[in-house]
Amino acid sequence: MAFEEQAQAIPFWRNTQVLRWTAQIVSGLAAVGLVTWLAIRMINAIQDRNVPVGFGFLSRSYGGPIGHHFLPYNPSTTAADTADSFLYSLLVAAGNTVVVSVIGVVLATILGTLIGVGRLSGNWLVSKLSLSYVEFFRNVPLLIQLFFWLTVILALPPVRSGIQIGDLFINNAGISFPWPSPTGVAPTVSWLVLAFLSLVAAYFVYRRRSRLEIRTGQPFYPIVSGCIAALILGATAWILVTAITNSVPFDITYPAPEGRFGRISGGATVPAALIVLLIGLVMYTAAFIAEIVRAGIQSVRKGQREAARSLGLNQFRSLRYVVFPQALRVIVPPLISQFLNLTKNSSLAVAIGYSDLLSVAKTMTQIGPALSIFILVMLIYLVISLAYSLIGNLYNRTTAIKGR
Amino acid sequence: MLSKLFRKKIVLASLAFALLAGLLASCSGDDATTGGAETPEPGPTTTAESASATTEAVTEGTEAVTEGGEAVELTQSAESRLQRVRERGNLICAGRNDVPGFGFQNDEGRLVGFDVDLCRAIATAVLGDPNAIEPRFITAAERGPTIQSGDVDALIRTVTWTTSRDAQWGNFAQTMFYDGQGFLVSNDLGISSALELEGASVCVTQGTTTELNLQDFISQNNLDIQVVTFEETDAAKASYEAGQCDSYTSDRSNVAAIRFSTDNPEDHVILPETISEEPLGPVVPHGDEQWFDIVKTVMSILIYAEAYGIESGNVPTEATGDPKVDRLLGFDSSFGQSDLGLEQTVAQDIIRELGNYGEIYKRNLGSDGIGLTREGSRNALWANAPCLDCPRGGQIYAAPLR
Repeated sequence: MAFEEQAQAIPFWRNTQVLRWTAQIVSGLAAVGLVTWLAIRMINAIQDRNVPVGFGFLSRSYGGPIGHHFLPYNPSTTAADTADSFLYSLLVAAGNTVVVSVIGVVLATILGTLIGVGRLSGNWLVSKLSLSYVEFFRNVPLLIQLFFWLTVILALPPVRSGIQIGDLFINNAGISFPWPSPTGVAPTVSWLVLAFLSLVAAYFVYRRRSRLEIRTGQPFYPIVSGCIAALILGATAWILVTAITNSVPFDITYPAPEGRFGRISGGATVPAALIVLLIGLVMYTAAFIAEIVRAGIQSVRKGQREAARSLGLNQFRSLRYVVFPQALRVIVPPLISQFLNLTKNSSLAVAIGYSDLLSVAKTMTQIGPALSIFILVMLIYLVISLAYSLIGNLYNRTTAIKGR
Repeated sequence: MLSKLFRKKIVLASLAFALLAGLLASCSGDDATTGGAETPEPGPTTTAESASATTEAVTEGTEAVTEGGEAVELTQSAESRLQRVRERGNLICAGRNDVPGFGFQNDEGRLVGFDVDLCRAIATAVLGDPNAIEPRFITAAERGPTIQSGDVDALIRTVTWTTSRDAQWGNFAQTMFYDGQGFLVSNDLGISSALELEGASVCVTQGTTTELNLQDFISQNNLDIQVVTFEETDAAKASYEAGQCDSYTSDRSNVAAIRFSTDNPEDHVILPETISEEPLGPVVPHGDEQWFDIVKTVMSILIYAEAYGIESGNVPTEATGDPKVDRLLGFDSSFGQSDLGLEQTVAQDIIRELGNYGEIYKRNLGSDGIGLTREGSRNALWANAPCLDCPRGGQIYAAPLR
């Protein structure tokens, strides 16, 4: 009875429960209202100006050039077949962006870690060089760096008078080198499948032997034995596939100049624009990653490293087994933002002549509805970024301090 | 916990995009029916309301803006672009400053060029001052969105008139230059036809029909050509000059300008093939017919001034007795100046300030500019004074002024 009276005595404007709900509802309505208002404004503006929108164009054939592509791409309409659709062309371009982003992320992480560790080095020269690297590359706008690297690459001799070192061709159109190319669907695909299974098997060998090593304290060489298992299984698969299909899965092709303009064909060619883009993105992002790594290492208490050293671990091992695992907790979350930055910065590609997602999309707007195309481009970047966040967060879970 | 947060993020982001896509899809369809469902004030039922809102809008403009989408629309159209330009006191032209001949900053820092002069001519017509222009320098890819937004009064930036652009971008006023895509190659390659470009790499600037024309040319002739796309002409030019690309392709006017700006123009040759039709001219935003007519009329004035032999140095100050000349200069009869909201003597001002079409061409593109031959080309006048009916072989022709 007394309890009920007390409950009624609280006026609703002082009831935290009510206040909390009201705040939630008001802010929710405000957000929805703002979005709706913006959307209505946008639709009005679109109708006012007769801007075409819609996504029907996606299935039409596109037929614009994509200078360099990792996925197969056909821009030309002939009697036999038609050019690839807008949607597929966008995906080809997105493929370029993904490849640039993945390679860039890997290289930037390696370089950034080296420089970050270098900044903490006891060697005066190494630490000062790392410091100058970081301060230079993170303080100069990326676009300027890209133009700088473009100028450097353009200073190389052109294709017709390029440098040749053995089977390596270097010129201002790119770098060409021997490369294994697939010989046919049956041998290549079957070997790839078998090779993948060999890797899986090798992983299990590695896991088993590393557990044994931990349990017994005896050396079982997990990495070495894993590699040997992979090699033996892969080679066996190679011999088997060759015997059965009468063709090796991959054949090495060698680059050679061809035609009047001496363009290099055969082997693999990394186009100059891609090199410039990767160098620019990696050098720039590595500067930021180096700072993150340094901060991460410095966040681990000095005592940890000293304890590791007093246990008899050498400099490298104390870093590898004691300091770094603890530093990862601090490093991983901001590192993922740097991966996202690198991915988004790759949209500067068009300035130096590389056909990334944004570059191709901009060309598409010449014959397709710009607004729809840019919405799709936004979506694709969002998907790539969310994928990075997902992987990063999953990994972060393994490194984060486990709740007690 | 993190993954939960993350899942929430994904759901929210996809919701937002679904909303956006849904709204767009609905307005792309039959706008009258589906658009009304989303708009708080559907059209037919509130006609009377919006009409009264209009009258209010005229008297109290600011209040009407808050009444919703339709009222905003009406207040916008209540004020013509001509009025807005005059209130603002300058003419906003989207253009370029990177190509000699069309739009370029000269050694004294003054913006000069064919496109710039057309902008100045319009400014002279509506504001009486050739310097009352506000140039906006944009890349080729920005041209469509810029003119669609209506934020600029005219887009004069070597824009090729195509039907889909006419439908999507804005209204193309008048072809002032007939261009076509050509190829620039270095002399030491020793080739004489674009068909010999098999195996070459070709640089293009992005966001133009150039890329698509090039791809068509490649497909039609079954050539193996590597296309390298740049955003800016400067980078494409640097790449060509360094030999990264064997050829540079663009509109012939642009190719000529690039050739003109290389260290040794004689070392480069423009191949004979013209692989596209590129009529260039000013574009105005959709939705204001008076403004569209004004721009067309200004272009007519420039062209007929040349046909009648009126130059910046010899603009008559009183009636000449030649009815056509007097009509052009506004001494006697009218060609519609007052209907368009222009001064009676608008042509005199334009010609005195900028000269006629021929003078503008010569100054920027011809012998005093980048050296494109005009005589015998498509860019000669169709008619020439004193005999207006004696064809000169050119295609520069405009609506007669009467």
